[in-house]
Amino acid sequence: MIEEKLYFEDLEIGRAVESPGRTLTEPDAVRYIGLTGEWEEWTPDEGGARQVPNLLTLCASGGLGWRVPQPPLAILAFMGLEWQFLQPLRIGDTVRNRSWTLAKRAVKDGGVVVEQREILNQRGEVVQSGRLTFLVARHPES
Amino acid sequence: MADQTQDGRRHFEEIEVGEEYLSPGRTVTEADIVIFAGLSGDYNVLHTDAEFMKSSIFGERIAHGLLGLAIQSGLLTRAMRPFATLAFLGLRWKFKGPIKIGDTIKVRAKVIAKRETSKPDRGAITLERQVINQRGEVVQEGETDLMVARRAL
Repeated sequence: MIEEKLYFEDLEIGRAVESPGRTLTEPDAVRYIGLTGEWEEWTPDEGGARQVPNLLTLCASGGLGWRVPQPPLAILAFMGLEWQFLQPLRIGDTVRNRSWTLAKRAVKDGGVVVEQREILNQRGEVVQSGRLTFLVARHPES
Repeated sequence: MADQTQDGRRHFEEIEVGEEYLSPGRTVTEADIVIFAGLSGDYNVLHTDAEFMKSSIFGERIAHGLLGLAIQSGLLTRAMRPFATLAFLGLRWKFKGPIKIGDTIKVRAKVIAKRETSKPDRGAITLERQVINQRGEVVQEGETDLMVARRAL
């Protein structure tokens, strides 16, 4: 049996994929704060609603990145990101990813891939966006 | 806007370029990685398949890069009085080396820029951060931009 993966050569520049949605709940936020010890953002706004910690949304996007209609990307390492937090999210908001390959270049140990990613809320507004850089394996037969 | 002077938070005009902070250490455990996989939904083999990772460049499972980013964010809050932060604007971040199970990390941070904005009641602050392991190696580093309130006039 062959485990299907998406390799460096398989990535097409500009082809967009979307993930399913995920609702960010109070249990998600409480677990995130317990894990990280980051209590500062956990204060209600003027209306009494609590915000989702910004980095929790980014972390959830990391998981959603695997739930796209294509085989899993053969990532060797996550090299970095440039990221903007554009809008706060409230508990109960639902996010999904839209992403595409912006650039790729072959290197000695594989290929460097730059992914442009947007996190959208349930109204289709971009709430966070940026660029993620990965080291991706080349096809084993190449 | 709520009165922010009572809670000890530091405002834009009180924060100086060049201020430095060093957090306590935290040992990253297998439990942290398992919990983070469940929370984020990122079960990639890099973090969850001990057998596969034996033949990888790392030789064993490694922490998610974003787990390291999240832990350092929490660690730094234990090293400094909080800023009167209105918004987390963005970050530029590099994952330079792996965080392995049992590694102990701490974060060193420095205020490197203050910038006026179009609104007079706030300003932007840039912090440079390095995540350092028990051998003194920088495993992650980058910059974070915050919008911080000024004191009400």
